[in-house]
Amino acid sequence: MDDRRTGPIMTGPIATGAGQQNRPDRGTRIARLMGAARQGSEDALGQIVTELSPLLWQVARAAGLNAGDAEDVLQTVWLRLVAHLDGIHDSAALTGWLVTTTRREAWRVRAAGRKQVPADHETLDELPAAGPGSEEQVIVDDERRLLWAAIGRLSARCQELLRIIAFAPRPDYGAVAAALGMPVGSIGPTRGRCLAKLRTLLADEAGGAWRDAS
Amino acid sequence: MTLPDADLPSADEPLDDSDFGLLGEIRDMFAAADPMPAELPDRIRFLLAFRDLEIEVARLAAEQDELVAARGPEQSRTITFDSTTLTIMIRIDANKDGTVRVDGWLAPAQCREIEMKCAADPLSVTSDEQGRFAFLRVPRGTAQLVVRPAGPEETGRSVVTPALIF
Repeated sequence: MDDRRTGPIMTGPIATGAGQQNRPDRGTRIARLMGAARQGSEDALGQIVTELSPLLWQVARAAGLNAGDAEDVLQTVWLRLVAHLDGIHDSAALTGWLVTTTRREAWRVRAAGRKQVPADHETLDELPAAGPGSEEQVIVDDERRLLWAAIGRLSARCQELLRIIAFAPRPDYGAVAAALGMPVGSIGPTRGRCLAKLRTLLADEAGGAWRDAS
Repeated sequence: MTLPDADLPSADEPLDDSDFGLLGEIRDMFAAADPMPAELPDRIRFLLAFRDLEIEVARLAAEQDELVAARGPEQSRTITFDSTTLTIMIRIDANKDGTVRVDGWLAPAQCREIEMKCAADPLSVTSDEQGRFAFLRVPRGTAQLVVRPAGPEETGRSVVTPALIF
């Protein structure tokens, strides 16, 4: 807890989830699972589903689908992957294919006009209110509010990119950005404009505190 | 506020640990603000178990909750699925013992073997000539309907619905 208090806000210890999910070897692990899935391992395919569905959920929701439609789209995309598995040979190609297919399917469903929600700025209107929590939770919530406000000031394309990239395996950033129609170099191996701008905004809003590592 | 590129010289720097930390925070934030339903990956895994079958996946076409006055406050759900060859409509009513009753209709009307994959062993019934079928007691939880070809000699495809939660 003290680390969170005194350390730079955005580089404090990440106790759960993201730290593990974003390990550099995540892509290697997915590639190994793909090999096993092609050999017919149901369990390996299932592990890929568990690994990458949170990414695809954000893709579908960022495209403006309601929760029910997003669930339908994910089911459709994974079923379709099974037919394409033999033609996809590495983690980046898999992630790129999944993101592209999810986005196209999401657009198709939205165009069909069923249960449509307004997509523009829908996601960043309001950060759900935090319930009563520990002091540590309150600090985390304050950090999130700052981050939420800063992301809300980015362009819609940057918001979509960062929201989705944050759930992608680290080596696949370039493939995901390409699948989202962003130019080469918009993120990975360099920082890219969206993330650079976010850092500038955070530095402004937090009075520079977040980047002060000393 | 729009920043000109000149203010973003750091865009060309390599991603560093603080960038990865920041992306981790963004991930945590969206995971909290817009979480994927926790059971969704399991439902998808369930669906993928059909991948070796020749199947058509039916799409959810309509869903409606209605209060059934005669049964008090208990809700009845009506769900319609469409596939290329078949429309499946089901109505779900709660039984007093905690299970649900599922009444269904196939259109066009036809006799087909219908399987309910659910939390317990799969249940199987056959629709009548009007396309009607009923599962009297289905345990609550994740379930999925599979409409099989009419007989073993038939070559038609199975139609599978998305996973449902009763």
